[in-house]
Amino acid sequence: MNRKHFLSSLLTTGVSFKILAAPPHNPDISFRIPQQLKPGDVMGITSPAGYITIEELQPAIEQIQSWGLKVRLGTTIGKRDFSFGGTDQERAQDFQRMLDDPSIKAIMCARGGYGSIRIIDQLNFSKFLARPKWIIGFSDITVMHCHINSNYKVATIHSKMCNSFPGDWLNAEPVQKETIVSIKDAITGVKMKYTALPHLKNRNGIAEGTLTGGNLKTIETLAGSRSEIKTAGKILFVEDTGEYLYSIDRMFWSLKRTGKLSELKGLIIGGFKIKPDDPGEAFGRTLYDIVWRKVKSYKYPVCFDFPVGHQRNNYALKCGVLHRLSVTANGVELLEV
Amino acid sequence: MIKIPPYLKKGDTIGITCPAGYMAAGKVQSCIEVLQQWGYKIEVGHTVGSGSATYFSGNDEERLAEFQQMLDDKNIKAILCARGGYGCGRIIEDIDFKKFKKNPKWIIGFSDITILHSHIYSNYRIATLHAPMAAAFNDGEYKNEYVQSLRKALTGKSAKYTCKANALNIRGAASAQLVGGNLSLLAHATGTSSDIETKGKILFIEETGEYLYSADRMLYQLKRSGKLNKLAGLIVGGFSDMKDTTRPFGKTIYEIIFDIVKGYGYPVCMGFPVGHDKENYALKVGAGYHLNITQKKVVLREMP
Repeated sequence: MNRKHFLSSLLTTGVSFKILAAPPHNPDISFRIPQQLKPGDVMGITSPAGYITIEELQPAIEQIQSWGLKVRLGTTIGKRDFSFGGTDQERAQDFQRMLDDPSIKAIMCARGGYGSIRIIDQLNFSKFLARPKWIIGFSDITVMHCHINSNYKVATIHSKMCNSFPGDWLNAEPVQKETIVSIKDAITGVKMKYTALPHLKNRNGIAEGTLTGGNLKTIETLAGSRSEIKTAGKILFVEDTGEYLYSIDRMFWSLKRTGKLSELKGLIIGGFKIKPDDPGEAFGRTLYDIVWRKVKSYKYPVCFDFPVGHQRNNYALKCGVLHRLSVTANGVELLEV
Repeated sequence: MIKIPPYLKKGDTIGITCPAGYMAAGKVQSCIEVLQQWGYKIEVGHTVGSGSATYFSGNDEERLAEFQQMLDDKNIKAILCARGGYGCGRIIEDIDFKKFKKNPKWIIGFSDITILHSHIYSNYRIATLHAPMAAAFNDGEYKNEYVQSLRKALTGKSAKYTCKANALNIRGAASAQLVGGNLSLLAHATGTSSDIETKGKILFIEETGEYLYSADRMLYQLKRSGKLNKLAGLIVGGFSDMKDTTRPFGKTIYEIIFDIVKGYGYPVCMGFPVGHDKENYALKVGAGYHLNITQKKVVLREMP
């Protein structure tokens, strides 16, 4: 069966599939694209934030090996300093070694949690710049994406991490498999394509711009620092989990008041797992109200419920790569240009 | 140069408004009565004990209009924010401070009101009052020294506050302008027009109900946005009801702060009576203070 038709008949949202394998060329010439991975290449796995055990990594290791890649585990795997995968120094050293080691072709962060911001200023990207490699992860790893995209103009991959690989691959849900396969597609040079269902609150339009974004709380935390996200002329995506509506409102005010919404080409709202209001503290405004209030004076396309976030339908997105966003009455399409 | 608004005289009017969260009328009653006993006239805004069914005391337009009216009304000599919650950040950019600049008056409150303090200090160099709000007056608590410190501050009495030493204090002395407030709001305002300026200042911070990792992240934001390296001194207030994750963070809040600032060389004190607990002295944001941290105690004295 034709894979493309098989998949699109199976899933109505968030489909990502192979169109053609392209060399690492970015139409947004200001950004550099790391080399795509070939069979036999080595993927490094490290924990720059929360701790993880080797057992928890097994599904990811087996899956990555099934792609024809070798896996090298960093010294932070299985290490623990309370909630962290080792002390700040240990995590920084492990990440640095992987950045510098020319035999490691991509770095997947084992999980998020909290901690990247505590080591980012200790990292030296000079060898990475001479030979860029894919840095992969999301949530707390948004620190890496923003820092690398803003300072070094190298593309990175926002995607699920090792702790999201299904333990029982054969019986995993199609969306779980698809999202994991989308990581493989992203690192092997496949041009990406994503779809989302139409949404009544979307603002229609078509735009082209470099994709940037990540976890909203983390983006707020980077304001004023040298890792701050740059959004002018870009398509911005944001997602978050476990936050109160009032807190989400405050974070969107931060985006607006720090000038991050006024010059966008497009805005993609991913998954938001909202913490219920406390009793007697009903916020009285939905996520759509919150977003709309901040962007109503602009004209660019806006879409909701895009398949990115702390959820099963969380597809690999290439930050720093040019994309075309099309929001119409028929649905949403995001296409790597 | 900092502009100090005129201190209050008997018979002056204090406006009470809710620029952020909802507050029931009953919870403001003691505050109104006590302020009247102190000799002030009180003008209570419609946002206080309003009919609002939501989180806010009124919609943004209502809260903004009332704050603006009290800001512009020459008869109102001070504005007491009845409570914080969340909401000042939604209206701050629409507030017109033109008349306030010509005729400064005391803006009083804390927590969410931190946005007003930072915004006014950074943009207009006018002193404001970080102090207990309406709920602190309830259940006879208006007699405590913290609510009384607000009374003294309003009349222009110079403050001198003392507290016990903490094992994690870093000894030293500093004389500088005081800035600060709620950690979440200070971090949140970074990069906006309400961003706080801390260079050469004594900074005070307080927080409530946050996860330790989240407080750590906010402190890293202050550090990475250059707000911690050139302080004259740091006053760490109450960090009440802090929460921890299932995988414990492994440090107390004071240890977290100590680790981040220990290398800078300025004096630091932990557990100063400012914050969401009862122990919350009135502090003038923008005014000059002398901070002295010794082995035995901490003294914060307002400079003339």
